[in-house]
Amino acid sequence: MARKYEITIGIECHVQLKTKTKLFSEVDNDARGKEPNSCVSPVDYALPGMLPRLNGEAVRLAIRAGAAMNAKINPDSRFDRKHYFYPDSPKGYQITQFYHPIIGEGFVELPSGKKIRIEHAHLEGDAGKLTHFDTYSLVDLNRVDTPLLEIVSMPDISSPEEARDYCKELWRNMVYAGVTNGDLYNGNMRFDVNISLKKPEDTKLGTRAEIKNLNSFRSIERAAAYEYERQSKLLDKGEKVIQETRGWSDATGVTTGQRSKEEAQDYRYMPEPDLPPLSLTQDFIKAEYDKCPALPADYRARFTKVITEDTLEVLLDYPELVNRLAEIADGGQPVDYIANLFASVLLAEENQSLLNDNLPSANQLTELAAMKSKNELSSTSAKEVFIKLFEPKHCDKTPLELAKELNLVQENDSGALEAIVDAVLAKPETAKAQADYKAGQEKVLGFLVGQVMKESHGKANPSAVSEILKKKLK
Amino acid sequence: MEVTEQEINHLAMLSNFSLEPSEKDALKKDLSGIFKYIGKLDELDTSGVEPTYQVFEMKNVWRADEIINQDADREALLALTKEERDHQIKVPKVL
Amino acid sequence: MKIANSSTTAVSLVKAALSRIEETKEWNIFTFVDKKAALERAEEIDARIKKGETVGRLAGVPYALKANFLSKHRPADASVKILTEFTSPIDSTTAEKLDKEDAICVGCVNMDAFAHGSSTENSYFGPTKNSTDKTRVAGGSSGGSAVAVALDCVQFATGSDTGGSIRQPATFNGIYGIKPTYGTISRYGVVAMASSFDVIGFLAKSASDLDLLMSITAGQDPKDQTSLPDYYGADDTKLDKKSVGYIKEFMDSPALDPEIKSALESKLSALRAKGYDIVELSMPTLEYALPTYYIIQPAEVASNLSRYDGIRYGFRTKELNAPDKTPLDLLFENTRNEGFMRENKRRIMIGNFVLSSGFYDAYFLKAAKARTLIINEFNKAFEKVDAILSPASPNPAFKLGEKVDDPVSMYLEDVMSVTANLAGIPAIAFPAGTNKAGLPLGLQIMGPRRSDKNLIKLVEELA
Repeated sequence: MARKYEITIGIECHVQLKTKTKLFSEVDNDARGKEPNSCVSPVDYALPGMLPRLNGEAVRLAIRAGAAMNAKINPDSRFDRKHYFYPDSPKGYQITQFYHPIIGEGFVELPSGKKIRIEHAHLEGDAGKLTHFDTYSLVDLNRVDTPLLEIVSMPDISSPEEARDYCKELWRNMVYAGVTNGDLYNGNMRFDVNISLKKPEDTKLGTRAEIKNLNSFRSIERAAAYEYERQSKLLDKGEKVIQETRGWSDATGVTTGQRSKEEAQDYRYMPEPDLPPLSLTQDFIKAEYDKCPALPADYRARFTKVITEDTLEVLLDYPELVNRLAEIADGGQPVDYIANLFASVLLAEENQSLLNDNLPSANQLTELAAMKSKNELSSTSAKEVFIKLFEPKHCDKTPLELAKELNLVQENDSGALEAIVDAVLAKPETAKAQADYKAGQEKVLGFLVGQVMKESHGKANPSAVSEILKKKLK
Repeated sequence: MEVTEQEINHLAMLSNFSLEPSEKDALKKDLSGIFKYIGKLDELDTSGVEPTYQVFEMKNVWRADEIINQDADREALLALTKEERDHQIKVPKVL
Repeated sequence: MKIANSSTTAVSLVKAALSRIEETKEWNIFTFVDKKAALERAEEIDARIKKGETVGRLAGVPYALKANFLSKHRPADASVKILTEFTSPIDSTTAEKLDKEDAICVGCVNMDAFAHGSSTENSYFGPTKNSTDKTRVAGGSSGGSAVAVALDCVQFATGSDTGGSIRQPATFNGIYGIKPTYGTISRYGVVAMASSFDVIGFLAKSASDLDLLMSITAGQDPKDQTSLPDYYGADDTKLDKKSVGYIKEFMDSPALDPEIKSALESKLSALRAKGYDIVELSMPTLEYALPTYYIIQPAEVASNLSRYDGIRYGFRTKELNAPDKTPLDLLFENTRNEGFMRENKRRIMIGNFVLSSGFYDAYFLKAAKARTLIINEFNKAFEKVDAILSPASPNPAFKLGEKVDDPVSMYLEDVMSVTANLAGIPAIAFPAGTNKAGLPLGLQIMGPRRSDKNLIKLVEELA
């Protein structure tokens, strides 16, 4: 759509790293479904005299995430304290990396081919959770110092759709890289969208507003689109956009300014004296960098010839499916048919639940595809076998075993088929039909094919049967 | 350097102190003297010098990613707070 | 040290300590006496000795914890209101190690609130008085520790030293005190003052006692990632130049008490007599040590004290109503305003000033660079000498109230001791006689990093 103003969007994303323990203490990092304050160490509780204990796995995952953003890893980085008073911040400061972040410049390539530059990314601890009631609030510290990687993009994004695409691609890359569970519902990835407008002829950027804490791709696109409307109305009226943080409501579909202190926050950043600095060797960095597996962009390059773009983009949201296709392709087998089964059958509304069962192995899927192409299975039967292969009671069987069990294997052996055809033609009740056909009534062929199918208990390949009949009734 | 009313209020805000006027005046006087004293550092030429934040050569100190029992559990920690409710810390309503 | 054995019972040692604590009440040394627990522990240790079981290296030795050390079921209030009502659920690493060796904690001793001070007058519980003259200060911040040892309430006490808090009170009370190399003893479970300076150490009546305590408590701790890999008694820095230096600028300082100066000179000639080269060192950058320290230290103090808000532990204000303020804002503001002492507030505000936007580079960053220059100056000096002999403080114990209303004059007490904290090097305070008025005099000897044990040997030679 043509827009009167140019949009400039930069996005900050908080990725929750999937470590076993927290960033600075040895307690469970996965508080989902756990009781309040049950995953809290004296360090997280900020007792006097407690010191942070850095989790090395968070450093490793950060490097792998860097690889998934084509980013430069800074061998020398360190932690800093960001000070603010709030009940969800037990230490009165957040441990982050302000002066020397671990990850430097990189980029994320969108499906469109456009590259969104990454300014930097840094490690930091999360805050606790507050629940509000009429006269009081309750503090749960389970989430305190859960390891986060904050990824800061350059303002390279120029539309709400592109904002959505960037967030989605970033999410995919982080999930493929295996650094996060990527559970958006549980806030594993949270996005802050900075958006400003300017007239095409203007050289300097307009005043930006920041929409905080978005956690779905749809809300990112909707919120950005709403901000465009809101800000352009202001500019049309010659009014100013004020720099502020705004909240988005999916329900009302609007952003609203959030109460902020009249004085701008002064975080008084200070180097963290309780943690030694990081000084990583190139070998260490390379070892972690190399652990980053194939990413969506790699799969696009690999499957572009064999899988349609639409199908592939759908499948890319499901790493396990794409990885399976890759496994099959590695075995030199074709993937197009299986890709279509995935997209059209498995991901069809009614079958989505199968994603929770175990995905058939590469061998099973390859064999299934082969049977289909050899006409040993009709396309309907192939789908039936495919779906059944997910069931625990069938998952250990080969597609052939299963097809036999379900009586779905087609009879293609022409010798055997001719015998059945001869038997049918020898029956008196088919004599009239044979005569009519010879007299030129071709439609009765269908009746005869039906008789043969009946005789074969449905295992005959219908097209093969009609060919034989035509030959014999010439 | 003389500390102004505005500066003392700003520092009280950053420090989260609700200072009585009398204490504010006393602190204004004290801090003015202290800032004057530490201002002496201006004389020292530090151009081209790397800062020191820690006095050891240790680097890359980190631990294994394994859950271990902590020195104090939830009950022991929450027992320290003034108001607890449903295993959470109760505070005045956050607006 | 007097250790319990078949002839001396732990109970007798603890009872002696407890009665001394009673006799010395007017010095206001102890903020908490753990009588019952101490006696039970003593009986248990005696029982093991009776059965011929092996006991720890400090069996039955009564000791005191500075009030900023956390130890299970004991208050750890750092002599400040905001930490009253706080009873520790955990043990500091030091308390745990001393306990393993069967030392017996008889109680907690007074200090300047949050270790902010050089006289122990700045305590929520009032001042501790000097062991030899009750009209004078104990020194600080480990004043309670020093007087408890000097008056034989305990055989040793723990201390923490950020700018001189072990050494100055040790010299004011005529005992020994060690400020180890930064990171030698774990800081886990000790209320933090300024993290990049804080060290844990001890006050005792002999250098050999300090050595024993160091060998027990030194070592790397997974709970403190700034603690150094074990070295004490293993790969210590050698001191084999047979040369000791003194700092010209300190000797020429008009602030230096003449009797301390002559005490220092006599120690130097004693060393010369023992065959040491005595080297005059010019260390001009040390003139900037105190301003540097009073920028970085308050910054770290302001940061470390941000956690005290009345929400999770300790004191919480009752004043939650005021016009145009939310109860939550008042919870923070009033808890902190009522809970901190004046000197705590001064340092927090200085720290927030030097860290605030617009001032960081001019103050904090500048001081961090000055710190580098000071370290370089010490490194150069230790190329020439094994150790540096210097005053721990410019003067002996001063009068109670003399400096309380003049923060800068109080800060100047640290002018000679902070140098070791800025550089992270070990320094030991030791007695050097008394002045005409009968007040104890003391000196400190500083060495290169990790020379702690050899420094103790040197102190024994000097005694």
